[in-house]
Amino acid sequence: MEPAPVMVAVALKNISQDTRIDALTGEVERDEPSSALSRADQAALEWALRLAGIWSGGLAALTAGRRPSERVLRTALAAGASRALRVDLAPERPSEAVARALAAGIERLGAQVVICGDMSPDRGSGSVPAYLAAHLSAAQGLGLLDIKPDSSGRAKLQAWRRLDGGRRELLTLHPPCVLSVEGSSAVLRRSSLPAVLATSSGALPIEVMTPAEPTPGPAELMAVGAKTMPFRPRTHLIAPPDPSLDPLQRVIALTGATSDHAPAKTVVADPQVGADSLLDALRSWGELQE
Amino acid sequence: MSDIKGPPPLNESQRSLGYVVPNTRSLQSEHDGASCDVAVVGAGPAGSAAALVLARDGWSVCLLERGSYPGSKNMYGGVIYPRVLDGLLPNWREDMPVQRWVTRRATMVMTETQSLTLDYRTSAWGSPPYNGATSFRPELDRWLAGKAVEAGAVLVEATTATGLLRDPSSGAICGVRTDRPDGDLRARIVIACDGVNSFLAKEAGLYKNLDPSNYTLGIKEVLSLPSKTIEDRFGLSPGQGADFEILGCTGGIPGGGFLYTNLDSLAVGVVVRLPELAASARRPEELVTELKAHPGIAPLVRDGELIEYSAHLIPEGGLDMMPELVCDGLLVAGDAAAMCLAAGIWLEGVNFAIGSGAAAGEAASQALASGSSNARALAGYRDRLESNFVLADHRKLRRAPHLVLSKRMQLSYPQLMCNLMEGVFTVENPSPKPGLTKLVLREAKRSGVSLTELLSDAWTAFRTFG
Amino acid sequence: MDAGVSFEDRMATVEFTIAPDAHIVVDGDSCRGCTTKACISACPAGLFVPTSDGGVLFNYEQCFECGTCYMVCNVAGAITWNYPLGGHGVSFHRS
Repeated sequence: MEPAPVMVAVALKNISQDTRIDALTGEVERDEPSSALSRADQAALEWALRLAGIWSGGLAALTAGRRPSERVLRTALAAGASRALRVDLAPERPSEAVARALAAGIERLGAQVVICGDMSPDRGSGSVPAYLAAHLSAAQGLGLLDIKPDSSGRAKLQAWRRLDGGRRELLTLHPPCVLSVEGSSAVLRRSSLPAVLATSSGALPIEVMTPAEPTPGPAELMAVGAKTMPFRPRTHLIAPPDPSLDPLQRVIALTGATSDHAPAKTVVADPQVGADSLLDALRSWGELQE
Repeated sequence: MSDIKGPPPLNESQRSLGYVVPNTRSLQSEHDGASCDVAVVGAGPAGSAAALVLARDGWSVCLLERGSYPGSKNMYGGVIYPRVLDGLLPNWREDMPVQRWVTRRATMVMTETQSLTLDYRTSAWGSPPYNGATSFRPELDRWLAGKAVEAGAVLVEATTATGLLRDPSSGAICGVRTDRPDGDLRARIVIACDGVNSFLAKEAGLYKNLDPSNYTLGIKEVLSLPSKTIEDRFGLSPGQGADFEILGCTGGIPGGGFLYTNLDSLAVGVVVRLPELAASARRPEELVTELKAHPGIAPLVRDGELIEYSAHLIPEGGLDMMPELVCDGLLVAGDAAAMCLAAGIWLEGVNFAIGSGAAAGEAASQALASGSSNARALAGYRDRLESNFVLADHRKLRRAPHLVLSKRMQLSYPQLMCNLMEGVFTVENPSPKPGLTKLVLREAKRSGVSLTELLSDAWTAFRTFG
Repeated sequence: MDAGVSFEDRMATVEFTIAPDAHIVVDGDSCRGCTTKACISACPAGLFVPTSDGGVLFNYEQCFECGTCYMVCNVAGAITWNYPLGGHGVSFHRS
């Protein structure tokens, strides 16, 4: 049976290559002119090219951002993408808003499998793919290390993701699905010189769409009125160790390595109940600010 | 999945992209590989200047850069003199990335414990038309390459030229091979601005012999300091900068040192001639460490936090090491043609790169218009260099590199001059002051310099710099 | 004597994108007969290390791509040196 064509989309983010974080202020300095793909996005593009090569439904690249972001679409076109779409979006929007914009783009493209990079070095946390899956009501495989398409040519994937303690989780995914891949999972092929030249200058067939200004999603509602602060781990007050101890014992006491703490608990529950118990635990540890 | 690896052929959409460059003659990339009028290899100052000139004249120009952005492979040791851009980019003052305008230029000679400084300051250099600037090369080179792109050149980054293409019948150079799949780029003229190691000029046979003594190694540390601290230590107003050139600080290895100010960092380093560096078995970074610890330098660099360490070769041999500049289908400019001027008190490279690159661009444009790209058609390049400052300065200062790197200039004279000053300013009461002539003769003798040598070097210096 | 800056700290200030293949090739036989081994001391990135059998071990990953090694090498052809794959190797930002 001839497998049905599946369109693959790769969602790319234009990041600065020269990102520095000021150690004192947490301020991120970016160098706009030289911006490009993160390692994870390069891997995502490579996986997308591989899957599109098998499924014959074409490869669309999309990004959410202003005009300079089209640079990553040029890269994708040079590498072999057949369609490119920029969803116009202001910079520095929260993950949920980026995902919503991308979801609008993916619906327009009609792609069934979406691949993203996992984390980016500009404080990208890898949360966009999860939001994206939620918006598209698609299955999600996040933080993947390897992907194996079904050998029968059907649009079915096996994917491996990293778990704690060196364990791996093997997922079986069917479209529609959203995948995010780690940077080490694939090396982006080098584009041919003619393809690079053809995409280096002049007008390219990059589609642009401006999504209707939507109502703010839950994450944005949470952010309304909140001051945006650079991310820092929460501080904890720790009592000074007994000064009579020797230095090694004091360090051990500070780490809390030998003191009693609550044993690890595995929660088996519905997603909603599971999420609630995670939030409860975080609250009880003082990690969540209400 | 091996069957889907490797470069995909151009797909429908790529093929349909066509080419919409502002120039009348467009790059061809659809059939039998890529081609253009001129392939410029290296998007440093020389290459970008050449590409800018050619793109303005309407030729299709491909500017190849092996780094992931222009300037990513480049470092320099001091000051950029951008007034060479007046003709090329009259509005360069508006947006050129500048760290500080140099208003203080000091030449320092030192021994292990002493130093003597000729310190010139002028506020005139801090306002238009300006003189010298400090800058970060990755920013400067990216800016200049951006000007070439605005003019219509196509910049292709992350692409290394691995060799020359030759016409099988005439043997003339007709393009470059790159390390991309399907990477042959055919061009009517190739301009090699591929830096001091210029593998292209060597492959073309333009370098007759490679003498390591024509090359120096520059090693540099960039040290972070608050701009206010820099201004206080160097006695500068905001926006103004200092540049120190130092002799006698390289542990007996022929060379020199430098210290200059960026906006909120200092750059300090040494430049040493290769054969003597190798023979000394000294570690290059130790020489920088020693310079930073010198009593004349240490207070200036104190508490600076290292933010970037770098090294680069410099072609310092001047006119005597220059390769043939032209052959059929090829021009060489910038460091690739050893255009760097290292003549003691003058240490300049970026302006010579821009000057030679622009001249190469003009000569190539003229040759293309004449319909030929053989060596004869390209000969206008050398004429242009002879008539502007590039070769005129090199010809005038031809003897300078040897003189400056000579043993007496490196070791004896710094010692002599420092001791002389020490003698003049040391008060040895109750002994009376010695006469100046007596001091000169005494210190010359102590430094092992004969009067004949002194006079001979003075005469050479006069002929070189006069 | 440099307060606190080890060679490793120094190199850690430089950005490198490591290419899949080495752009430096050293002919071990030539090195075993070499008495000077100038590359070891002169390379500003300290990429060359003597081995106990008289040879030279080299790294290419933290190369400044300056060319010092082949220029000071006294055995023709012992060090073959080329530029790394485009987009790889050293990237300066503040130099």
